[in-house]
Amino acid sequence: MRSLLFCLIVSTFLGCGGPALPSNILIYGRGDDADRLDPIHTDIGESVTVMCNIYDTLVTYDEETLDLVPSLAESWSTSDDGLEWTFHLRKGVTFHDGTPLDADAVLFSLERLTVPMHPFVFDQVIPYVQSFEAIESVSAVDPLTVKVRLKRPTAAFLTTMAMFPASIVSPTAVKKYEGEFWKHPVGTGPFQFDSWNVNQQLTLLAFDDHWRGRPEIDGVIFLPVGESAVRVKQLLRGEIDIADNLPPAEIDSLSKNPEVIVQEKEGMNTGYLTMNNDKAPLDDQRIREAIWYAIDRDQLIKSAYSGHATKAVTLVPPTLWGSHSDLTDRDYDPAKAKQLLAAAAADGVPMPIRLQLFVMTDPRPYMQQPRQTAIFIKDSLAKVGIETEIVTNQNSQHFRRMTRGEHQLGLAGWTADMPDPDNFLYTLLDLDNINDVGGNNMSRYRSQKVHDLLAQAKVEMNQEKRAELYREAQEEIFADAPLVPLVHTSVRNVQSKAVSGYLLHPSSLTRLRLTKLAK
Amino acid sequence: MWSFLLVRILQSLATVAVAVVLIFISIRLLPGNPALARFGQHSVPARVTAEMAQQGWDRPILAQLIDLPGELLRGDLGVSFFHGDQVAARLTETIPATLELSITAILLAVPLGICAGVASALWRGSWPDYAAMTFALLGVSVPVFFLGICLMTIFTNMPTSGRVAPTMISQFHTDFFLCEAILTGRFALALDALRHLLLPAVALATIPAAVISRITRSSMLEVLSSDYLRTAKAKGATLGRIVWRHALPNASVPIVNIAGFQVGMLLSGAVLTETVFNWPGMGRYLVTAVREQDYAVVQGGALVIAAMFVTANLLLDIAYLWLDPRIRTQS
Repeated sequence: MRSLLFCLIVSTFLGCGGPALPSNILIYGRGDDADRLDPIHTDIGESVTVMCNIYDTLVTYDEETLDLVPSLAESWSTSDDGLEWTFHLRKGVTFHDGTPLDADAVLFSLERLTVPMHPFVFDQVIPYVQSFEAIESVSAVDPLTVKVRLKRPTAAFLTTMAMFPASIVSPTAVKKYEGEFWKHPVGTGPFQFDSWNVNQQLTLLAFDDHWRGRPEIDGVIFLPVGESAVRVKQLLRGEIDIADNLPPAEIDSLSKNPEVIVQEKEGMNTGYLTMNNDKAPLDDQRIREAIWYAIDRDQLIKSAYSGHATKAVTLVPPTLWGSHSDLTDRDYDPAKAKQLLAAAAADGVPMPIRLQLFVMTDPRPYMQQPRQTAIFIKDSLAKVGIETEIVTNQNSQHFRRMTRGEHQLGLAGWTADMPDPDNFLYTLLDLDNINDVGGNNMSRYRSQKVHDLLAQAKVEMNQEKRAELYREAQEEIFADAPLVPLVHTSVRNVQSKAVSGYLLHPSSLTRLRLTKLAK
Repeated sequence: MWSFLLVRILQSLATVAVAVVLIFISIRLLPGNPALARFGQHSVPARVTAEMAQQGWDRPILAQLIDLPGELLRGDLGVSFFHGDQVAARLTETIPATLELSITAILLAVPLGICAGVASALWRGSWPDYAAMTFALLGVSVPVFFLGICLMTIFTNMPTSGRVAPTMISQFHTDFFLCEAILTGRFALALDALRHLLLPAVALATIPAAVISRITRSSMLEVLSSDYLRTAKAKGATLGRIVWRHALPNASVPIVNIAGFQVGMLLSGAVLTETVFNWPGMGRYLVTAVREQDYAVVQGGALVIAAMFVTANLLLDIAYLWLDPRIRTQS
């Protein structure tokens, strides 16, 4: 109370609050707030949206494609054995706090991510630590050269360096703010952190000295608005400039409105139906195939995705190299499904089959209407004689229980952390990834052959050869049908007509440097 | 009277203590592990264990419970799993927004409810009565959530979210935006804050206004039919004097009772209203925390709400003492 009075008196005499923000500010409405703005300590998409505008990585994606291009590293080379990577840093880059970018800063940032018990890591939660476990050591060769030594050749290493956890942070700021650095992020990115009123708004301002030139807009305010219906109203009234993560039906109706622009781009994700291969009767391949034949995915796309998705045949989305999307699909064929079930019954599989279908409560980009999808699958399976009970769990509990293998059928999906088939196939179907804590092979699919192919692809440095290995692995997986790939969804965003220059990126990263605002 | 007050204060403290223990135990008995929600799909057992140890959630419930009074006295409500900041500090930041909203809603609901109830009783069976009671019925039956969206759709020139325009938030030093803007003489800011406040306050005020109007009506009808008012009418007292001087004060005990109860209920109503209107108050903070399974925040918030509810009831009892001499005498 005393501080309130003090502030009131002070502000009365001073006559004003903080400095007024510049006028050319973009307002970005989204469903939720960020959690922590330290790149090593989060895996929350809302934080990534902010951080990819504050920080830069050594390499990054091209403005429109998933090709890797130089960022803070102007160039790089690798040793013949693929174990040593040398990065040559860009000259004259500074952090927002004036600290110059040099090899020590890169060393500091990468060691925070990879060295256990690093003195400047104040929270033990480092979600992506596994993605960087191939790094053996990092060293500074000279002020502008960094060498990274790997434990084994890793084909996806360079792509990993474009991931947000490998963002380069200001060592001065980390040492200054210590455990509070996540509230005071300092990078070299196009925008610098200004203020954060948790659950209220997060403000970034243009960084005048960014090495690629100052952004077009003066800043951006990220506004968390939980209700999508409210975000739609705000967009139509001009209260926000971009509305993120709206349900398909809302976007469809907005696309008819001449006051807004709807952008759509194929995403890098897959929604699938996981089948627990460890549990009877799903341990019988015929039953799994019958389920595949019983689901009309074209119809599912119309009813649960408003038509804005493509039918999946394999886990790797067609937008990604190495996808074997020309596999001959198991088209919708309920008669064939019944035949397979009858054959299984003849071999003693008890009929009728009753299965539990696990469903998450909240939508995900690849599963935009989980409840509708579950009901669709339940009805489809009922038509071929499989009874299904829908079991709904809150999202984290849903994935938790499926990771433990408690389900029979379950809705699942994956949005790529990095554009590499390894991130789909190894992560979701390798036998290394079956465990009760965080193992993402929730189908519990065990194929030594697939494991060998994926392990070989991991260390193969030639991309064409890798693609061939992944194609072979996908053929094996398709034949075994451990899960039913359902859809790859489009990424869609809605913006006011005043916004231009903002391009949806297939990586789903929200990069606002080139965005312009006509206000 | 003093002994009555003392007993009520002790009862209130005991109620808060029981609520604290129940909330504390029930949060710990919830299935799942709070650290897992933080780690998500990247959970590794060693890290989950370390996080639980760091937060002190791995200790026996009884040991944690024994430490609780000391922590509460120090104002320590723990650390948010999701955001990693002090729960007490965040609650202190969000309570002003909830107070500003709730107080405005009370200021709208009480006069509106009383006036509607009085009009309804005076013109019983005619159109003002039907209009007021239809309003009351709608008020209690339309969910706040739906009402909020309706208000936004109807009042298209009013802001739909937040406490002020996003570009103005840096102008404030304190979390009492409207008060600060008025006290510092920045009327453009105050107007903006008021415009943002109006729709959520109306949405939040609807249920209490409806309930108060119904209670006022029945209480007034009872009083209006009493002998002393018939005498007052016979002696030629004006309608205004009859209503405001004689009838309403005597009908006020049940009205104060229900109004006080509604003030407590406003806190739970604020949860929905704040969510719809993106009002950055305590209610929205708690809803977000429940979704994020941020147990420390849920616990801290529930404790604060329980304490506020019990305090509101205590103040209500004190108001009775002041209003009704019979209670004073009995106590």
